[in-house]
Order: sequence, then structure tokens, then C-alpha cells
Amino acid sequence: MQGKVNKMNIPLDLLSGVLSFLFTILILSYLIGDNPLFRIATYLFVGIASGYVATVIWWQVLVPRLMTPLLPALNSDSLALKIFVLVPWLGMAFILMKISPRLSGIASLTMAFLVGAGAAVIIAGAVTGTLIPQFEATINFFDRDLAAARNIDFLEVAGNGAIILAGAVTSLVYFHFGARPQADGSMRRFGLIEIIAWVGRIFIGITLGAIFAGVYAAALTALIERISSIFDFITLLRTTFGL
Amino acid sequence: MRIITAVIAIATGTLILLGYFFEAFTDIQTLLLNWAVILAGVAAIVGIFNLIAVHADKIRRAEKGSVYSALLLIGLVGTLLVGMLLTPRHPVMQLLLNGIILPVEAALMALLAVSLLYAAIRLLRRRTDVMGIVFLLTAIILFLGSATLPFGDMPLFGTLIHPWVTQIWALGGARGILIGVALGTLTTGLRVLFGVDRPYGGN
Repeated sequence: MQGKVNKMNIPLDLLSGVLSFLFTILILSYLIGDNPLFRIATYLFVGIASGYVATVIWWQVLVPRLMTPLLPALNSDSLALKIFVLVPWLGMAFILMKISPRLSGIASLTMAFLVGAGAAVIIAGAVTGTLIPQFEATINFFDRDLAAARNIDFLEVAGNGAIILAGAVTSLVYFHFGARPQADGSMRRFGLIEIIAWVGRIFIGITLGAIFAGVYAAALTALIERISSIFDFITLLRTTFGL
Repeated sequence: MRIITAVIAIATGTLILLGYFFEAFTDIQTLLLNWAVILAGVAAIVGIFNLIAVHADKIRRAEKGSVYSALLLIGLVGTLLVGMLLTPRHPVMQLLLNGIILPVEAALMALLAVSLLYAAIRLLRRRTDVMGIVFLLTAIILFLGSATLPFGDMPLFGTLIHPWVTQIWALGGARGILIGVALGTLTTGLRVLFGVDRPYGGN
């Protein structure tokens, strides 16, 4: 049995290596310009990834949450249970109406439900996940007790906090685009807002530079990993076939 | 229909939102979110079938690039059939994931290293204002602070300047941007809940 498993594993590992090698070369061929090989790889990738996502949705969302509860609910005496299970089926039927141009308007009932749910989730996410934590983190820099509890010099923490507060406020002001018409007909922001926004530009420049450096480091790591995987595969081929 | 869709969106949104703040609404919130997850899944499947229809139409009309559409359809339908029959945990599906999807994603990320370098050079040539200079200067300082150089770490860069720039100066701007994005998101959500924006149609 173990031998069978090993025999099965070796070709799958090898096949995975071959596919990985081939697709990496096809994608990296873009470095010499847009070409048919790159397009073949990207179109195949989009197709396979979409198919994979569809199967994951089917097996991990629709089967356990939609299909499996249907029969037990239909056989049960509880009207509430039947409604709980049948409403998503009705919603699904409405969404499928989108396929027909004449009936696609009915799909807006389900879309309205999804948009309403999405709006509520993003409001809660924005308030509890971003606004409150960001405000709290900024305020904490000026908490003398917290600095003492962490055994850090309060002036140093408050100084850093002042820079962060200035960065947050001036960056927000930078995105204020309210302007008034001038005597010469041009539109300009209020003078003080203009000055604060200029400082905000510096902070945004620093932030985007830091993000750029982080993304570039990640991309460089991916490039090194891909080149390393190509060499690993060639070594594997040489050792497997004794080349 | 316009009124019905608006009522559905506002009622759903309000009930889910109340569930975040009042315990009495937690059950209804869980139920509605469960329905939303199912329907979002169905919507995604419909979207994928729309992708199939668009590319099948391109092949039928023999448009330019229809060979690529054929490849996309072969990949999509093949993966879909295998996945439906065998489940995503089957070794064949794992082969597709580890042999094609993940390496292509990593290779596309690797291409970004070249594209970003090219974009940075273009920025330096075309836009030499304060923001552009600050942007590139920060990036260079952070590279010098984190890169492994042949002659060892640069004094002060890795230990002092790099953490000071990322954890204080860059954090200030990032916090402003994050708060701005959150305020924008909040406004968009509230406009939907008040029925001012109706992106779901329903004429």
C-alpha cells in the first residue's frame, strides 16, 4: 500500500514541478515584451483559477449551507425552519433570472439584499475595525500612565505621537478639495488649508515611499523564489534521470 | 419595484447593523449574514458562468484572440468538472493549485519587481516635485536600512532611521489615509442605508 502511495506521489510531485517550471517560464517571458506565450499562460491561469474558485464555492458554501439542509427542512414540521432554508433558494432563483434579459429585473431583489447586507458590514467594519482602533492608537501616545506602565519616557512617546498626529491630520486635510473662486476667476483652497495640505503631501509621500519599498521587497522575494524554484527543478530532473 | 428593492436593502442593512450593537438582534443578524454568504456564492457562480458565456461568444464570432478564449474555457470547464466530481481537496485539484495557480501568482508578483523599478525610474524623469523626491528618498532609505549589503549593515540606517521612518513618519501618513478611507466607506454605506444611493437597480 505504501509503495502504491509513493508511486502515486512521485509522478504528481514531478508533474507539479513540470507545470510550475513551465508556467513560471511562460509568465517571466513577459520580461522580453508582451508575447503569445505569456498570453497563453495568463488565459489558462484565469480559466483554471475561476474553475477552482467555483468548485471551492460549490463544496464549501453551497453544498453545506444550501443543499444539505434542504431535505431535513422539507421533512420537518417546523414552518420557521422551512422558511429559513427556502429563502436562500428563492434568492438563488431570483439571481438566476439575470441570465434572461427580460427577467433580469427580478434579480435586483436579491441584489438589494446583498447590497444592504454589504453596506451594514462595511459600516460596522469601518467604525469598529478602523476608526476606533486608529483613534485609540493615536490617543494612547499621549497617555502618561500607559507610558509609565511600559517603562518608556513619556516625552519621547508624546513627541513621536505628535508627529503621527500631525501626519494623520495633515494627510486628511490634503484630501479636502473644497475651493472658493478667486477674483481672477481661478479656484483655490483657503490659504491655511493649502499650507496644511502641503505638509500632508510630505507625509503621504513618505507613506507611499514606505509602501513602495515594502511591495518592492515582496516582489523581489517572489522573483528570487521563482528563479530558485527553476534551479531546484533542473537539479531534481538531473538527479531523477541521472543527467 | 424601486420601492421594494429600497425597502429590502434598508431593512436588511439596518437589522444587520443593529446586531452589532444590540444582543437582541444577534440571531437575526447571523441568519441574514448566512443568507448573504450563500447568495454571494451564487452570485459569484453566476459571474463565472457569465465569463464562460462572454468567451464562448468570442469563439463563436471567431473574433481576434479567440484561441486564447478557447484556452480559458478549456481550463475553466476542465477544472470545474474535475472539481465538482473530486472536491477541491483531491490530489488532482491540489496539483492544479500547487502546479499552476500558486506558481503563476508568484511569477506575476515577481514581474512586479521589474515593473516597479521601471515605474520608479519614469517617476524620477517625469515628476521631480517635492512629493516625488520625498517618495523616492524614503524608498531608498528603507532599502538601505533593510537590504543585506556585501560590506555589512549601514551604520544608523537599519537600527535607527529605518524604524523611525516606518514606525513614526510613515505611520502618520498611513493613519491619515486609513481614516480617510474608513470615513469614505462609512459615508458610502450610510448613503445606501438611507436609500440615497441605489446601486442594485430595480426599475
